[in-house]
Amino acid sequence: MRRGWVGYAFIAPWLIGFLVFVAGPFVASIYLSFTRYEVVTPPEWVGTANYERLLSQDPLFWKSLWITIRYALVAVPLGIVAGVGLALLLNLEIRGISVYRTVFFLPSIVPMVASCVVFVWLLNPQIGLVNSVLRLFGVEGPAWLNKEPWAFWSLVLMSLWAIGGSMIIYLAGLKDVPDTLYEAAMIDGAGLWQRTRHVTIPLLTPVIFFNLIMGIIGAFQYFAQAYIMTQGGPEDSTTFYALYLFNRAWRYLDMGYASAMAWVLFVLIMGITALIFKTHRKWVHYGH
Amino acid sequence: MATERAGYPGEEGRDNRVFLALLALTLVGFLFAWSVSGVQGTKSFSGSSRQKYPGRKPVVFWHMWTANWKDTVEDICARFNESQTEYEVIPLSVPGQASDSKFLLAVAGGDPPDCMAQWNPVIPKWAESKLLVPLDRFMTPDEWADFRKTAYPVAQKIGMYRGNLYGVTTGLNIWACYARIDALKAAGLLPGSGADGGPFPDEIATEADLRRFQKAFPDTLERLVEWGRKLHVYDDNGNLTRMGFMPQWFAMYAPAFGGGFYDWQTGRVLLNTPENLRALTCLADCRKELGFDKVVRFESSLTTTFGADWPFVSGRYAIVVDGQWRVEQLKKYAPDLKYGTAPIPPPAGGCTNAGWSNGNFMIVPVGAKQPQGAWEFIKFWAGLSDPERAAEFYTWGGWLPLNDRIANAAIYRKYVAEHPQFQTFLDILPSPNISPTPPVPYQVYLFDRIQRADDSAMRGTLTPQEALDRLAREMDEELARRKEYEHGR
Repeated sequence: MRRGWVGYAFIAPWLIGFLVFVAGPFVASIYLSFTRYEVVTPPEWVGTANYERLLSQDPLFWKSLWITIRYALVAVPLGIVAGVGLALLLNLEIRGISVYRTVFFLPSIVPMVASCVVFVWLLNPQIGLVNSVLRLFGVEGPAWLNKEPWAFWSLVLMSLWAIGGSMIIYLAGLKDVPDTLYEAAMIDGAGLWQRTRHVTIPLLTPVIFFNLIMGIIGAFQYFAQAYIMTQGGPEDSTTFYALYLFNRAWRYLDMGYASAMAWVLFVLIMGITALIFKTHRKWVHYGH
Repeated sequence: MATERAGYPGEEGRDNRVFLALLALTLVGFLFAWSVSGVQGTKSFSGSSRQKYPGRKPVVFWHMWTANWKDTVEDICARFNESQTEYEVIPLSVPGQASDSKFLLAVAGGDPPDCMAQWNPVIPKWAESKLLVPLDRFMTPDEWADFRKTAYPVAQKIGMYRGNLYGVTTGLNIWACYARIDALKAAGLLPGSGADGGPFPDEIATEADLRRFQKAFPDTLERLVEWGRKLHVYDDNGNLTRMGFMPQWFAMYAPAFGGGFYDWQTGRVLLNTPENLRALTCLADCRKELGFDKVVRFESSLTTTFGADWPFVSGRYAIVVDGQWRVEQLKKYAPDLKYGTAPIPPPAGGCTNAGWSNGNFMIVPVGAKQPQGAWEFIKFWAGLSDPERAAEFYTWGGWLPLNDRIANAAIYRKYVAEHPQFQTFLDILPSPNISPTPPVPYQVYLFDRIQRADDSAMRGTLTPQEALDRLAREMDEELARRKEYEHGR
């Protein structure tokens, strides 16, 4: 303890920053969610009116929630499958593997805005690379970002672009699998698929569990790509929850309503995370 | 450690006290540094350290222009500073979308600028929230009466909220048709000879040329759409490579059909009206005829719409609706392009010179330290104090003035003579049929939902009637929640 306070003193600026800029607004938003607060005027208490309207009279709330859930249901498992698959491939001891690993990791460090701009051009229906390639095969590709439901699926597709980050974690997980287990399995006559199915995947479940939780939280906070690439269109088909929340807060200065939305999101994320934690004992193996 | 602590029973308490003291000290230090930087910020913010004329009252002026526009604005500020001895305007460029939130935080923090140039639809919301100073309070009754009499209707609609003036326009935006003469001639749409028997001009060099062009230009929207059909160009795969003309943008065309979104007499928001339905149906029919997918593919193949990259310059549009600033840009980036301008023709039986508008305007926030200085600057720039002098500023930016006095100033007429196509916009400017987005506190939300209705009808996912029904329903729900019926409808 003698040295403890020195440590606290050193992190005091961060602590103060956290209290003032994170914890303070976090707590304040509970109160604001029960008010009509338009940023430029003092908050006015409206009880549960914001929540009532959210749940009963705002079709865009439900639409944006459904879009976000659908994205989480599709993009997160897809990211896990692709990430694990890629990690398995990049775990092979072949020549130049470190170059491959670097290449597949690189997209995840490209700034988000730059990636979005590149994808807007790639998916351009007339002069984009994707449709140009499709044209070589006699297929006229859709107007990806300008048409329902393609805009949504374009964003799902784009989510795979940055799986390098999770892929590295899977790779680290694979490196942790003891060779002795593979040797024992091979002695027992297990083939490649059986070793993957009964040794690799079970021992990778803690990492999958981590990425699942982070992926779901990330999916429910999905914002930047939709904001930059589609602005929620066409016809609100990519109005993700966080984008709608942002518009309510800063475009329409409807901060009380947006605070209520934020708390619904918080409860939702906590609920889903708790649910996954509750089930994890059944499918996550820690190797002991 | 445990053994050590056992030997000094009071040490943990002392540790805690020391820790708390240190934490408190850090907090105090942090707050002190913050407040000092705030004070210093205020100093530099008020401009005393950046003043060119020490001793004058600093007028801090925020604007959102960048690049060449910023230079133009700073030149105007310099001219103001040279013109008198009491105030010094200190401009500060606050670009981007964050400018509004910075402004709000500055007002909330008690340290706002003295005036700000805006073009976002902020007046109703900010005036309703008592963030803006009514500018009519600076005017004498005679000046106010004169303003009401001489300022164009659209300038008053943009700047006023509930009977008070909160923004003075320093540049209005008007939209009209731009047409390429080469494309029209190639399609045989312009006769070989002018209406008066002379050869039809290859270029618009004088106002007389412009009038001759406008006489040949379609006088109804139906005829213009017919011209558009003859000007569309497709490639071998059936893709549109040049758009002849297609009306799009519900907010722009609704007034030409006698519709619009606001009754300026009663203050009622109008959405689901027969006139608006007619407008939306017409636009949807035109889009359907060309094919939504074709239009999307065509528009997405265009690079940017800025400056020299404007697709009209490269011939991707034969006739297109755009704002008056293109005249100056075309002179700069495509001086050899031959084109004419004409007002958007109304549908048969519709309203002439009708459409949507916005513009740049100056506001003064509550809490401004030099509101009178700000007002002097606004008058100077807008031309309320000296129209002849201000006319020059309007020519620098190719801006449209707020009254006839400036428009008829010698220097402005000279500018128009050099840019004859500009006259079209001046012709439209005094029209009472030009309106901005309704001045209601939920203006941005309303604008977004109108665009959404437009989008749904154009894609054919909803019929125009269904799109308007939904728009009306959405606004009803929004209004019910905001409890703003008293001034919303």
